[in-house]
Amino acid sequence: MAGQDAAAFPPAARPGWVGRLRRSESATGWMLVSPGAILIGIFGLLPVLMALKLSFQKSDLLTPETPWVGTRNYRQLADDPRFAEAIQHTIVYTALFVPGTMLVGLLVAAALNRSVRFISVYRTAAYITMAVSTISEGIIFLWLTDKDYGLVNATLNVVGISSQPFLASTSQALYVIVAMTIWGWTGFAVIVYLAALQGVPVELHEAAAIDGARPFTRFRTITLPLLSPASLFLMVWLTINALQLFDEVYLTTRGGPLHATTVIVYYLWDQAFVQFNAGYAAAMAYALFVVIVIFTALQFWLSRKFVHYS
Amino acid sequence: MNKRPFARIAALVSVAALTLAGCGGGGGGGSDSGGKTKVVVWNGYEDVQGKNLTALIAKYNNENPDVEVTQLVSSSDRVLQKVLTAVRGGTPPDVAYMFGSWSPNIAKIPQVVDMSSYVNDADWQWNDFYEGERQAATVGDKIVGVPALVDNLAIVYNKALFKEAGIAPPSADWTWDDFRTAAKALTDPAKKQYGWLIPADGTEDTVWHYDAMLWEAGGDILNSDNTQAAFNSDAGVEALTMLQDMAVTDKSVYLDTTNANGTKLMNSGKIGMLVTGPWDLSSLPDIDYGVQVMPTFAGSDAGHQTIAGPDNWVVFDNGSERKQAAVDFVRWLTAAEQVKTTSLATGDLPTRESVGSQVSFQKQLDKNLPGSSTFVQNLSNVKKARPSLEQYPAISEAMGQAIVSVLLGKAEPAQALDDAAKATNDALSGG
Repeated sequence: MAGQDAAAFPPAARPGWVGRLRRSESATGWMLVSPGAILIGIFGLLPVLMALKLSFQKSDLLTPETPWVGTRNYRQLADDPRFAEAIQHTIVYTALFVPGTMLVGLLVAAALNRSVRFISVYRTAAYITMAVSTISEGIIFLWLTDKDYGLVNATLNVVGISSQPFLASTSQALYVIVAMTIWGWTGFAVIVYLAALQGVPVELHEAAAIDGARPFTRFRTITLPLLSPASLFLMVWLTINALQLFDEVYLTTRGGPLHATTVIVYYLWDQAFVQFNAGYAAAMAYALFVVIVIFTALQFWLSRKFVHYS
Repeated sequence: MNKRPFARIAALVSVAALTLAGCGGGGGGGSDSGGKTKVVVWNGYEDVQGKNLTALIAKYNNENPDVEVTQLVSSSDRVLQKVLTAVRGGTPPDVAYMFGSWSPNIAKIPQVVDMSSYVNDADWQWNDFYEGERQAATVGDKIVGVPALVDNLAIVYNKALFKEAGIAPPSADWTWDDFRTAAKALTDPAKKQYGWLIPADGTEDTVWHYDAMLWEAGGDILNSDNTQAAFNSDAGVEALTMLQDMAVTDKSVYLDTTNANGTKLMNSGKIGMLVTGPWDLSSLPDIDYGVQVMPTFAGSDAGHQTIAGPDNWVVFDNGSERKQAAVDFVRWLTAAEQVKTTSLATGDLPTRESVGSQVSFQKQLDKNLPGSSTFVQNLSNVKKARPSLEQYPAISEAMGQAIVSVLLGKAEPAQALDDAAKATNDALSGG
């Protein structure tokens, strides 16, 4: 086919769009990425667009009739007390999880950024929490924090503190999940910070030391500013993940006790696959998408004040 | 002429198209091949259950050379989502194992075969299925499936802990007051030992424990025409107050708020009693346990009612030939002979009364897994079923939160149930 085409319309004789397309490099580029692009389009982009459509419909995922309801799903979001509660939990969680993970990650990375014996063993140990599956993480923390039989309470009892209900308490469960996810993500923050720390020029530290700067001052005035691109990346990345918290909640508290750990995505899942309100859940997903975009944009905007690229 | 972009685009597009076709076509199983009618069965059976079903299917294929039954095994929890996807894609299975709680939603899928036109034939022996099973398979005037598996709740207790506490084991005429006294006696904070453990995550697992108590106290979940909540009655308050007395006043109940610990703690001898189903028995190898029917309330003549959670084989319409073959297969699979074989091989309760009532069969079951026969007999104590309504998930959610709030000492029974009733009525009227 193509051979015949080429014979019938030699490139020079046909300067129209076909010819331009044939000569352009971008056409070749698109062609090369087309297998991946087509798959991503169908399995990634199309569902996203279909979810947008779904958010304006009433659908239980079961029946073929999906009547249009206009913006009803979105308006319902505004006066759903459980959604408001879920937003509040998500904000509290994100506000603790993101700085918590960055701080712990930075401290561990700083401790690991030196040459001592067995350093790669320590580094591997720090990263290994990332390799632990969320399911194992959930089960481990369930047992660690069990109110009667958990290791944490046993330790607290030894030092004279009475047993805490942890995940069984409406006031503590969310914080246990914060601790658990900080533990799970520390390895990630460590790797990013460690890589950035290795890029901090030794000469700067030496020069500052000669000028009489103490180690803490050097860390604050030299290391921290040079780590700021890494910090920005972590902040954005961790925030996006925190706003989408689901697995850990699903595996431990199932949003309880009494909705105390129901975060946005858990509530979304509950609406879509337990209560069968798929249209409403899709609207929630889009609301969350907008929030994430705003948050991320805000973070990049704020970052102009504290990120130094050289 | 070595640059031929169009040829390459054409090639790449066709490769992509083939890949996609490959992805899409694998799901539903093909049509007729070699003259045999295909029946594709989706189920989540593993281990002994899986082996048993595979053996039965092999037997059926042998006896019916014109039919080829094949299986697709995947987690039962996810079957609904997968079936929905397949239905949308136009390639539903012919038969799928579906949870009974999905029945009202399943009834709305157009491709689901209404079994009511089949099961009245004498060779189905429909009334031989236990009443609770038939109720759970019925939505309005439709029968959406055929009972595949049934279970119910009973007391499973640790014999050694009862002996240690110096109290008599549960008897068949126990009241909830007896249960409460025993739970209190079995509780020892020093040893971190509890009389009872209840799933307190507020899911349907919490709710059905309460349902059995509600019915036994003489109450109902909804009124007779399913238009209003009825659980906030005196009976409902009595049942929930009993839970409050044990969990909050006596502190004799381990509240399993994450619903992950029940059998493990029971098996390690930390819990005196569980109210659970036959599926947990095989997870208790380290203790000597007994099984007893549910307690009653003093003055109630409800007859130690329990609750059943039956699941169904649901048939889908893939053209008349495959539909008929699927219906025939399900009829064979759920006939008394196969029910008995399955029950003995797996320890699952028999779905048919004619099998369950055989004394020799019960003895055989007990030999495999002690206590099973009590669960079989307990099937006759299933008198009511949860309402088969689309709004049921919302009702369950409201009741679950009410129960947990009382168990955690955050609310009083009457108020909690009234709040839940309001949410229920909103769900029922709002659609």
